[in-house]
Amino acid sequence: MTGADQEPAVRCRGLTKHYGSGNERVDALRGVDLDVRIGELLMLVGPSGCGKTTLISIITTILDQDGGSCEVLGRDVGHMTEAERTHFRGKSIGFVFQAFNLLPALTAVENVSVPLLISGVAREVAEQRARSVLEEVGLGARADALPRKLSGGQQQRVAIGRALVHDPKLVVCDEPTSNLDAKTGHEMMNILRGVARASDRALIVVTHDNRTFEYADRMAHMEDGRIIDVSEGGRRGEQS
Amino acid sequence: MFRIALKMLAADRAKFVGLLFGIAFTSFLVTFAASYFCGFMTNGFALISENGATDVWVMDPAVQSVEQTINMPASALDRVRSVEGVSRAVPLALGNADVRFPNGQFQTFQVIGVDDASLAGAPVVPGRNPDELRARAAVIVDAGGTSGKLETPALPQDQWPHDGAHLDAPTRELRSGDELLVNEHLVRVLGQSSTLPRFPPRPLLYTTLSNALLILPVEPHTLTFVMARTVAGVSPREVAWRIELRTGLRARTTADFKSDTVRWFLVNSEDVGDIAAMLMLAMTMGFGVTGVMLYMFTYEHQSQYAVLKALGTPSGTLTAMVLAQAAMCALLGTGMGLGLCGLAGEVVLRLGFPFRMMWFTPLAGLLGVVVVSVVAALISVRPVVKLQPAVVFAGR
Repeated sequence: MTGADQEPAVRCRGLTKHYGSGNERVDALRGVDLDVRIGELLMLVGPSGCGKTTLISIITTILDQDGGSCEVLGRDVGHMTEAERTHFRGKSIGFVFQAFNLLPALTAVENVSVPLLISGVAREVAEQRARSVLEEVGLGARADALPRKLSGGQQQRVAIGRALVHDPKLVVCDEPTSNLDAKTGHEMMNILRGVARASDRALIVVTHDNRTFEYADRMAHMEDGRIIDVSEGGRRGEQS
Repeated sequence: MFRIALKMLAADRAKFVGLLFGIAFTSFLVTFAASYFCGFMTNGFALISENGATDVWVMDPAVQSVEQTINMPASALDRVRSVEGVSRAVPLALGNADVRFPNGQFQTFQVIGVDDASLAGAPVVPGRNPDELRARAAVIVDAGGTSGKLETPALPQDQWPHDGAHLDAPTRELRSGDELLVNEHLVRVLGQSSTLPRFPPRPLLYTTLSNALLILPVEPHTLTFVMARTVAGVSPREVAWRIELRTGLRARTTADFKSDTVRWFLVNSEDVGDIAAMLMLAMTMGFGVTGVMLYMFTYEHQSQYAVLKALGTPSGTLTAMVLAQAAMCALLGTGMGLGLCGLAGEVVLRLGFPFRMMWFTPLAGLLGVVVVSVVAALISVRPVVKLQPAVVFAGR
């Protein structure tokens, strides 16, 4: 069975969200329909303020939607309690942020082990698993370095390790290459592309960086709170 | 997650040190003030402490402390002696007298008249036979926690001069053989003792009861306390109860009388208000420094808490992390503050100031720190709980 045949990892229908009220009301999402398939890397692109961050915030259970439905990995996120959403996020979703957002007081291996510690895994077990993930992303030798001792690319590898360590089925990357040079950006995208291919995961990558569009399986173009087009991507990395 | 919280705390050294300083300061000031207060109170019941052989103190029913007394009729002594369970009872008389030094200077002393027969309550003067106190007009002087109050003229020509007072004459400390004038009665100093300092500090003049009656102004009643010992096997409290029942006088065990005296000071002494003000100042300062530092620390680490929240950390765990940080600071800061207080206590004791770190004074310091830290932590945790994890995304 291919990813297209399977239940999608994310299914949004008629998703709406607004901020403020009266004259200050802003409709961030105006009925978004979106499917993200298992095993694909979907890029969410569009101009600033088009609703990309709001959409991924709802998909990752950080924000509530106002209307419509959003199923993530078979769960209707709109009907979860706050505690359920927090637990679901910790168990099932991995994050890669633009600014890496590593905890500066922790070493690389400690940063990577954080999602496991949140889930209640013992520290020794968590750090053992974190070391093997750091090996996978090519940073095994710097496992005990603090973030300030690492380059931007290395920090983003740590962040990717942190996003994968608990084996989430959905990984959401917010502008993962914006703070990186072109070469490092391509390295990161190759890693992420490999992550999507290697297991039954879905990746959503929010990006402005057109250098990375070629890595997408599909691209969802957003504008003014709507998905205006979903196109096939370049799928670079398939042959590598 | 607690380990992460503590690592976050220790990594921001400037604020960590600031927090420790704030808490150590609170702990130090609260403990020091409480210990200083205990020192005062211990000095307040010094008369009771230095009569350690006494089991029961008997006094006029209106007397609440050793500080404010009124005398009983002399017959009270025999009435107490007649109570079953009393093995020995001796009189003690207190009075105040303006004492004139040989150069014309004067100083108010507390006169303590002890039992002529047993000399119970009289201090020891090194190198002197205690029986010498029974000599007519013999007295023992004591600084009673004061300094520079027992100065007599150094030169013979400045003593009892016929050409008026020599107030500016050079002086030296009173010693054996010196004379003083008490209510126009000449007394001879046997020596200087070193009993427990008093609160409030005052020079003391010990003599026998018969001498005290001679030098103090005539009063109808002359007996301030009866100090009783109980027979073996009978509890002092039981005897005190019997004495009260049989004589109508107030009788208190030594421990109870000390407590009464402390309570009296708490109600009547203005110094207690000063100590309380010092405690409030300590708490306020400590809260200001600790609260602001902890709030700033948490506020400036909001982005890190937001990341943890986005990664699935429940608000309860984040709250526990902030509380763990506050608890670690409280623990270390309290230890530092108490250590500093112990050292400062040693110094002030050597300088002659009252300081007594009792078992509950470090607890008072700890309690002060807990109140300050918990309040500061609860204020600091609010922005973390209210935090929207969406701020971690680039678009926010």
